[in-house]
Amino acid sequence: PHTLEVKRKRRAQKQGARRNTLELIQPATPEPVEGREHVQVQTELYLEEISDRIIEVDGECQTDDFLDRPPTPLFIPAKTGKDVATQIEGGELFDFDIEVKPILEVLVGKTVEQALLEVMEEEELAQLWSHQRAFAELRNAEFAELQRLEEQDRRIREEKERRRLEHLEKLRKQKETAEKIAARAFAQRYLADLIPSVFNNLYDSGFFYDPIERDIETEFLPWLMLEVEETLQKKVLGRTMLDSLIRMVVEKRLDEFSHPPPPAQTKAPAEEPRAADAAPKMSGEADAADQPVAEE
Amino acid sequence: MAQPRISAYLPPDIDPTKAALAFGRRALPKLNEELQSPELLSQQRALMALCDLVHDPEKVYQAIALGFLDSLKTLLVHQDQTVRQKTTEVLSIMALHSIGREGLIRGGVISALPGLLDDPVDICRKNTHQIFDRLAKLPEGAGSVLRAGLIPPLVLKLETELDEIQELILGTLSNCLRVEVSEALAAGAVAVLKEKLSHPSTAIRSKAAWVLLEISSHAEGKIAVCKEEVIPVLVRLLEDTQPEVQVNSAGALMFALVTPQGRSSAMGAEAIPPLLTLVAEETSKARLNAIKTLTLLAELPEGRRTLLDHRETFQRCLDDPSEAVQRAAEIAITVIDWKP
Repeated sequence: PHTLEVKRKRRAQKQGARRNTLELIQPATPEPVEGREHVQVQTELYLEEISDRIIEVDGECQTDDFLDRPPTPLFIPAKTGKDVATQIEGGELFDFDIEVKPILEVLVGKTVEQALLEVMEEEELAQLWSHQRAFAELRNAEFAELQRLEEQDRRIREEKERRRLEHLEKLRKQKETAEKIAARAFAQRYLADLIPSVFNNLYDSGFFYDPIERDIETEFLPWLMLEVEETLQKKVLGRTMLDSLIRMVVEKRLDEFSHPPPPAQTKAPAEEPRAADAAPKMSGEADAADQPVAEE
Repeated sequence: MAQPRISAYLPPDIDPTKAALAFGRRALPKLNEELQSPELLSQQRALMALCDLVHDPEKVYQAIALGFLDSLKTLLVHQDQTVRQKTTEVLSIMALHSIGREGLIRGGVISALPGLLDDPVDICRKNTHQIFDRLAKLPEGAGSVLRAGLIPPLVLKLETELDEIQELILGTLSNCLRVEVSEALAAGAVAVLKEKLSHPSTAIRSKAAWVLLEISSHAEGKIAVCKEEVIPVLVRLLEDTQPEVQVNSAGALMFALVTPQGRSSAMGAEAIPPLLTLVAEETSKARLNAIKTLTLLAELPEGRRTLLDHRETFQRCLDDPSEAVQRAAEIAITVIDWKP
């Protein structure tokens, strides 16, 4: 009903709009004369009530809750064809034990193979190392033997060397001792008449002397000679002095005789007594020296 | 309903931590490229895959031929510890094969490894020492370890590291010192080893005795061993319960007693009775070494006198199945019977 109304409204609007336009374009029904009223009348045979509202009748309907689809009725098609049956007995299709063998073999085999590989690898290594160790032991044993022999050899050589040196030393000492003995014997013999000859020589060269004689010879006589020399020298000195005095006097006299005579004569006689004093003094000393020597 | 997936569980071969391997010959080159990629995850996955592949000697050969060692060397100094750990593991597995060892020595990996000695992660250090240990078993490997100047740091590490790493270090040292001993002596190895001889662990004791054996096989080593008075300790170890320790200490004595000072200190430590017990045991592995040591002691007059009474022990050794023991016993008898 609502939609119908809406439709009517819309239609009315359209018609109104159309009417408006129509009215503008065309004249409409003239207005009623005075006293009259225009009324809408139906002219059909059967009058119907015209109203804006369409006669409506409400009706309802409602669905029920959904029910489960009922189970399909069992459809058994008509049987056609021939019945044939087949049955697989227990061991006919395959024998599990036999068939599972290859699968198991592969599984187990692969596992075992892998394990074997690993074990083999380790074993190979262990073998290698044990081989190496055995070799190393032998080698070490041989090497130790070698070193022992070397050491022995070295010791023996050293021992030999030492003994040889000892022996040489011994020989040398022996030789030395023999030489010493020979030298000693020779020396003894050589020196046997050394002493007499030495004494002879010494005696000849005057080592054995009478001490007094020697003393006199060594000390007294030189001293004596010295004194004699001194005395003689004094005498010579006196003579020399005398000579020089005489010379001086003579020169002076010469000078005096060449030059005018200075008063120098007093000096000359003064010097003469002095020289004369000196001469007897010296002879007196010489006598004095002689006397002590004679006393000795 | 049928589905293409048979079961809800993934097949057991897929390991998300491993890189996928290309087929056949392409596997290793592809891994090489992945190793050089800048992304951490792909590097780690490639390393995990490589670890498994490297157990095969052919793959090792191929890897070395392809130049894996350069990429591995760059990865050794990576910041991530998993990368370092896996790289060292790969290198140590490579060192298990002889081809791998030669390749590693030729590729100069040893010079790249000393930086890892101070790594904070235990397992990296352990793998590094494993590499050294395995490489040192070759003479060229021992030579290159010596040339890289690794002996002094190794001797220092001996005092501070964990026990299992100490075993590896001792193994490396024993192989290297067989060649040359002066650097180790300068680093004071004998004193450190003397301490280790009293360690509670059997393996460390036996390996320390082995290292001392190698040291005393050189002349300057013998002098050092006598000076540090290791001989009495070794004599005490002869009575140890473990056979390996006995073998190795008997061997060390065998070399150290060659010098006269060694012999006199051994006589002072009364080495003869334990050595005689070792010789008398039929199944002892230390027989050979003990016989040799007694031979050395028999060259001393006091030794000879004592050993003359035990001549029958040596006679019995003549029936030993091992030829070397027989020979040693003969030599021992000759030395004992020698009259000056």
